[in-house]
Amino acid sequence: MDIQRLKPHLPWITLVVLVAIVGINDPGFLRPSNLLGIAGDIVPLFIMALGLTFAIYIGGIDLSAQSMANMVTVIASVYLASMGAWVAVLCVMAGFLLGMLSGYVTTRLFVPSFISTLAVGGIAFSIAQWLSGQRALNMDAAQRNETFGWMIGRTWGVPNELLIAAVLVAICLFIERRTTLGRALKAVGAGELAAAASGLNVARYKILAFAISGALAAIAGLLFAVKLSGGAPTIANGFLLPAIVAVLVGGTPLTGGVGGVANTVVGTLIVAVIRASMLYFEIDATRQQIVFGIVLIVAIALTIDRAKLRTVK
Amino acid sequence: MTRRISRETLIKWAPLLVLLALVIFFTALNPTFFSLRNFARIAIAASPALMVAVGVTFIIVMGSIDLSMEGTVSLTAVSFAFIFAQLGGSLAGLGWIAIPLTLALGGLIGLLNGLVHVKLKIPSFMASLAMGFVGTGAAILLTGGDIVKVSDAAFRGLLTVRWLGFPLMVYVAAFFLLVGWFIQTHTTLGRNFYAVGGGEDLAHASGLNVTRVRVTGFALAGVFYAIAAVLVVARIGQAESVTGANFMFVSITSVVVGGVALWGGIGGVWNALVGVLIVNVIDNGMVVIGLPDFLQAGVLGLLVILAVVLSTDRKMLSFVK
Repeated sequence: MDIQRLKPHLPWITLVVLVAIVGINDPGFLRPSNLLGIAGDIVPLFIMALGLTFAIYIGGIDLSAQSMANMVTVIASVYLASMGAWVAVLCVMAGFLLGMLSGYVTTRLFVPSFISTLAVGGIAFSIAQWLSGQRALNMDAAQRNETFGWMIGRTWGVPNELLIAAVLVAICLFIERRTTLGRALKAVGAGELAAAASGLNVARYKILAFAISGALAAIAGLLFAVKLSGGAPTIANGFLLPAIVAVLVGGTPLTGGVGGVANTVVGTLIVAVIRASMLYFEIDATRQQIVFGIVLIVAIALTIDRAKLRTVK
Repeated sequence: MTRRISRETLIKWAPLLVLLALVIFFTALNPTFFSLRNFARIAIAASPALMVAVGVTFIIVMGSIDLSMEGTVSLTAVSFAFIFAQLGGSLAGLGWIAIPLTLALGGLIGLLNGLVHVKLKIPSFMASLAMGFVGTGAAILLTGGDIVKVSDAAFRGLLTVRWLGFPLMVYVAAFFLLVGWFIQTHTTLGRNFYAVGGGEDLAHASGLNVTRVRVTGFALAGVFYAIAAVLVVARIGQAESVTGANFMFVSITSVVVGGVALWGGIGGVWNALVGVLIVNVIDNGMVVIGLPDFLQAGVLGLLVILAVVLSTDRKMLSFVK
């Protein structure tokens, strides 16, 4: 069996093997209610990873996702009282516009995306600190339940977060596979120069990819704020690493062009199972970050397309 | 031709002019800014950041990037605190051995970083980011989330003993800045950094062992991060897993704002110094003139974009990722 032909299937094989290992050691793990619970808990992270997929798919990276989500938890907590459900629109718009800013700075000003998104992340952090007065904020419980309570309940035993995630996956899959935008993003990821040479407005599509990433990071932040019933400028810290891991172990390489939304679904489930298995095998929570850091390195090393990198800087 | 020269001259001197303008600006708004006391305050805040910036300067000159500083600083700071306590907890006794051990550890982490980047052929920003996460994770593991105090009077002398108005740690940082300058200009290694940054293919074709230069560069950066860690512990008297937090953003901003081009080959440790001073003068100045400190991250973000834009010759580039 050729390793290159096996490669696209590695993510789901990894997932099945991991589930089997944990399941054999702890049969309780495989109970549907347990699996649903684990999947439901990972949804905010998944939504962020979904957004990151677009940035990585075009060969860029979005390091601002975590700051963006932080900022949105604050925006949601501050303006829920005055704006009601419309605060969701404000949050998504804020994420979309800041994402566009990253994209603009990357494409028009020629700043590499890891620097531009780091810088935009700094701006988002400032906004969060300014709005929150550098404190942790709480939402009014009654109002939260009335406005966004539907996000975190259960329908026929299925956590509503999963339904939200399913809708977002459907939208993203549609964008990726059935729209011009999706084809254009694939072209940009597969070979930016060729895409530009064939008349594609590369800059516009790249800006859109970063904007989508920002908007999804914002939705992740909103959901997180609703779950915790509050917000703070650093509340979502710790999301960025597992979100990047989810995209990469799913099989979307750092070099872009292959993989995509469906891969990130598998990747996020792998992250979820790794997390859960650490609990079962009683690996201390303090080791999680080391494990994910190493998984990240392995995942990049396995997936990256070296033919696209003449020199590795 | 004249345009290129003027552009290069401008880029070379712009950071220093910005620094002077900032000092004049803040002094005009509040004269207490221009005082030895305040300058000492800026120098104390800038010393550890300068060490991190000097370290990452070598990497950026090579055209790579290192985002591992937060993890490396945290891990070396925590390790230093533990080793120091194990060896008696005093500089007067065996405690001083902790310092060379910490620097060696920093070098080792950097070495690992470089090996992951070069041997696994992973772009340096991602390899170092991942290694940074591992470093922070290791620091959390070591401390279990606790704070490790270092209260030896002799060691804290780095902060408390002053000479001509500045604490000793400022002189330590200045000394290592000179070491960095020496490595940059007077050693083969320093020249090799510029060779790799100026054109990796060419450097490789001329017989340079690019792999070794890269790995050595990362190891060297690690040593400088460890120096920064020791200085931070001296400044705040404790080490924990978040000791290194914020160093990544601030140091990258400083180096880039100071005029080290992200594309490699241009700039050096003096640019790092000017950049660190710009960032710290802005920080300090905003407090002195009474602006809220939450603006800091946003201002730095805009500044770094501006700096990269100004230092990029856009005719040379077709696209960036």
